[in-house]
Amino acid sequence: MYRKLLDKERLGYCYQCGKCSSGCDINRLDPTFQPHRFLHLISMGAGAGRLKDEGIWKCTTCFNCSERCPQGIRVTEILWLARAMAVGSGFVPEQIAAQRDVLLRTGRLIPADNRKREKAGLVPLEEETSLVARIFDLVRKE
Amino acid sequence: MKYAFYPGCAMPVKGLKYEISTRNLAGKLGIELVDVPEFGCCGYPVRAMDFQAALIMAARNLSLAEERNLDITGACTGCVATLSEAKEYLKDEDLRREVNKKLKALGVKEYTGKVTVKHFARLLYEDYGLDRISGMVVDPLDSLAVGVHYGCHYMRPAHAHDRFDDPTHPVTLDRLIAVTGARTIDYPNKGLCCGLTIMGTSEDMSLRLAAEKLECLSDRGADAMIVACPSCCVAYENNQKPAGRVVGKTISMPVLYFTQVIGLAVGLSEKDLGFEFNRVRFGKEKKPV
Repeated sequence: MYRKLLDKERLGYCYQCGKCSSGCDINRLDPTFQPHRFLHLISMGAGAGRLKDEGIWKCTTCFNCSERCPQGIRVTEILWLARAMAVGSGFVPEQIAAQRDVLLRTGRLIPADNRKREKAGLVPLEEETSLVARIFDLVRKE
Repeated sequence: MKYAFYPGCAMPVKGLKYEISTRNLAGKLGIELVDVPEFGCCGYPVRAMDFQAALIMAARNLSLAEERNLDITGACTGCVATLSEAKEYLKDEDLRREVNKKLKALGVKEYTGKVTVKHFARLLYEDYGLDRISGMVVDPLDSLAVGVHYGCHYMRPAHAHDRFDDPTHPVTLDRLIAVTGARTIDYPNKGLCCGLTIMGTSEDMSLRLAAEKLECLSDRGADAMIVACPSCCVAYENNQKPAGRVVGKTISMPVLYFTQVIGLAVGLSEKDLGFEFNRVRFGKEKKPV
């Protein structure tokens, strides 16, 4: 499924001009993070095991690269797919595993604090704690 | 005007002043925000884990609003962008059919695509109108100079937001704030991301990004920074001290939500706008006399 989605995000149109990397604020702070290099690797068929070393978790998902690309390649969306591919293959950074645990347990990334809300005069949140777990189960059944 | 209000997970926990000021401002302007208790996660954090699961989460929320015949307005730029991007993905018939099968299994109606999703600021700008807000200003904030931080997902990816604002040089929030009489200052790194999304995985870079913008606004004499996203607010306000430490400086920059500033101008009290929750005090002394 992911390869088909990558095609839809126009991965094959990259000619390695590097405009994505030159406008990337993370690249400015950490020159080892290079979106154009990552696009090259993934278009050459690099698997999750290889991509996990390319700093895919350093991206802030600001979408500046996607907006700058002269070829209309959705670089941020591709990076997201690469993250999902890495996680699907078992390469899960500690922080992402922790986020997944919270989501599966509470249904939210940031669990509600209804006491604090009521003190502020806001209505309590209704909890759908099992929602994310149910959706993950549905997807896994395929 | 009546909308389904999408709160997301950050605002109801970390952004109480945002929620209080948004609800009260909407009330003052005569915009009805309808709560949908069944709304769940927008799918943003799940995109890095499973594309399909994330899309189902977004579609479920879209469908719940459709069922009530309401369009969605949200206050978190991340949620609004995620739901809007899902709408774009779901224009693909095959994908929509697959997702709708899952929605059925979740006991949710079919998603048809008719619902629209807009950030509350965009709604004010496009649908409510600057003139109408202008007509309600009773306490102009003429002496206030602020720096607007849009938040990446406010207008990007542009295709998902119907290109309502320029993805690299946005103007809509500046225009909205200008209605209050406050002056919005231009500054060089306006497009810079707040960095919060990588706080867990690359803390130093995250804080450095936040510090860069806070320093820049400080140097340019901004009285406050204006934000439109609960996550950006955490990056610039909650993390202000550690961000200062990373660059070896003490930063003291009030961070206000656009709803708080517009609220002041249309005559809402500081209490109605949640000012008690602002960590870097923005007291009466900053208000024009």
